[in-house]
Amino acid sequence: MTIRELYANIGGNYDHAVQVMKMEKLIDRYVRKLKNSGVGDQLAAAGETMDPEKLFEHAHAMKGVCGNLGLDDLADAANIITEEFRPGAARKLSDAEVKEQLAKIDAMYRRAVDGIAAYEAQ
Amino acid sequence: MIKSKQLNKPQLVLVVDDQEINRDVLGMILEDYYEIIYASNGIEALSQIEANRDELSVVLLDLLMPEMDGFQVLERVRKDERLNSIPIIVLTAEKNAELRALQMGAADFITKPFDMHEVILARVGRIIELSEGRQLISAAEYDRLTMLYNRNFFFEYANRIYNYHPEWKMDAIVMDIDQFHMVNDMNGRDFGDNVLRLLGNEIRAFLGETEGIASRFEADRFDIYCKHYDDYPALLERFQDKINAMSKGASIRLRMGVKPWKEGVEPVLLFDRARAACSMVRGNYKSHLMIYNEDMRMREILNQRLLNDLRRAVENHELKVLYQPKYNVQVDPPRLSSAEALVRWWHPELGMISPASFIPLFENNGEISVVDNYVWVEAARQIAAWRDKLGMTIPVSVNLSRVDVFDPALEEIFDRIIEENQLSHNCLKLEVTESAYTENAGQLIEVIERLRKKGFEIEMDDFGSGYSSLNMLSSMPIDVLKMDMAFIRNIEHNATDFRLVELILDIARYLKVSVVAEGVETEEQLAMLKNAGCDLVQGYYFSRPLPPEDFEKLIIKEKNIDRGNQA
Repeated sequence: MTIRELYANIGGNYDHAVQVMKMEKLIDRYVRKLKNSGVGDQLAAAGETMDPEKLFEHAHAMKGVCGNLGLDDLADAANIITEEFRPGAARKLSDAEVKEQLAKIDAMYRRAVDGIAAYEAQ
Repeated sequence: MIKSKQLNKPQLVLVVDDQEINRDVLGMILEDYYEIIYASNGIEALSQIEANRDELSVVLLDLLMPEMDGFQVLERVRKDERLNSIPIIVLTAEKNAELRALQMGAADFITKPFDMHEVILARVGRIIELSEGRQLISAAEYDRLTMLYNRNFFFEYANRIYNYHPEWKMDAIVMDIDQFHMVNDMNGRDFGDNVLRLLGNEIRAFLGETEGIASRFEADRFDIYCKHYDDYPALLERFQDKINAMSKGASIRLRMGVKPWKEGVEPVLLFDRARAACSMVRGNYKSHLMIYNEDMRMREILNQRLLNDLRRAVENHELKVLYQPKYNVQVDPPRLSSAEALVRWWHPELGMISPASFIPLFENNGEISVVDNYVWVEAARQIAAWRDKLGMTIPVSVNLSRVDVFDPALEEIFDRIIEENQLSHNCLKLEVTESAYTENAGQLIEVIERLRKKGFEIEMDDFGSGYSSLNMLSSMPIDVLKMDMAFIRNIEHNATDFRLVELILDIARYLKVSVVAEGVETEEQLAMLKNAGCDLVQGYYFSRPLPPEDFEKLIIKEKNIDRGNQA
């Protein structure tokens, strides 16, 4: 599996990743770090407690990291939670809808992490 | 030549982000251009900023972080005077956060994701450049030691005050430390720096109470431009007290010159005058404060005029040489022995100017050699003229100033003068003042020895008026010792003065040199000097300084005595 194929498998935007990191070997180096970054687990944990501050903080972190890695779908999905819990902003979604969005993010995140693990294993 | 780029400090960038991937990506973008250090939260960031505050060129700061967020870091840095010159660029994608960060003092922002490398590099580069430019300006603006303005900025700001607030009555103060180089030499440079720093602090404290600005103009000179102040003696005392308190055991004297406000006088002129007043304190052991006044201004104007007019005066023969006779009093009647050439200036507009007004002035700036040269030429020509007309050679004493002694062409000049007038060398007696001995005595002795070997007679002028003369007597090859007129003035009424005169005569006898007593005015003085064994006398008792045509009459009289004796 090439790195480009990995991106295709996990729903990433390889061209965007190239735009940020310029070189394939750098994309390779940084994408491997995603699974240890903790962003997915921290967001999932915040979803358990529905703590708005934590949800904002970790969704924001995921959005930033995934944005830089070219994982645009994940970044966009995290952005919905970020904006939902931005301090001072009015809530637009119900808790159930938030949980649904979090589950979606979690699934996308797992898929990315699994894909990266498979890429690493080859 | 070292290029300015080589003088730039290595540029250190702190990247602060709680996400390792973000830190790494940003580091990767910047690493070819900058040295990068990292922090993963606000607390770490603050400690990195603190530890690298002198090296950091810029901080790239994520806003949303656990522990301590970017806003808190921004706030802490901006409030800390030691840190607030370090520029901070915030990393964010939110418009509101950008605005808030900029309002809190962030220099710029970079949006996430970091996909526009050129934009990021350009922003970082521009902010560093701006910040370094500001630091350079700030370094040029302030003196690092005292944190007072440097000279150029000070005058720029003083001029602005003068131009924009003409209604403010601003005084100019110049203050310095007497013999500051000695303070440094004796106590070390660090001590000297501490004195200057303390003075800077106290001046700033003073400016906290009154409105004004101040500068360390150079070395130990401080300039203060402040609203008119009434009690300068108290101000000087206040500064002096501070210095005394810190410098126990070291005597440090401040000097202060003040030029009070005057309408229409711009700062540069005001400070020229305050500086002139400060210079006048030099050597005054009673008062260390001088307020510039109109008399000083008139004196300065006169001095400048004399300096400007000197060359013209020489060309137009405005300088006149008068001759005061010296008589040998050990014979009866006293006989004309020689003369001293004394210069006067007949200025076409200012009238007769006393040598006391221009000789010290020209001695100070070296122009005295122009006057001396003029007198040498005139005196030699006059000796030759009297010889040719009256058949009698009258030796004439002329001044040799300190600056002449160090003129490499001195001997050549004298040779030419002697040759042009076909004189023998002993026709010109060279009077060296005691003050000439104080500097570089070795070279002086060398020059004097060479002149003496040529046949010139050397007279030590004003003996006893200064210091070191006794010491110099043992090493200086002289032929005549001229006793300062201050000794003679009171010999009739003051036994101590007369005893001193007797002592000087004893010394002269021991050294086998003759003595001239100057300033003899009364018959009694003459009698006392004659009885004490003084050889030669000069003064109003015999004659005031005379123009050549009147001096001629004394020579004719002398010749008549000769004729009478022969008959």
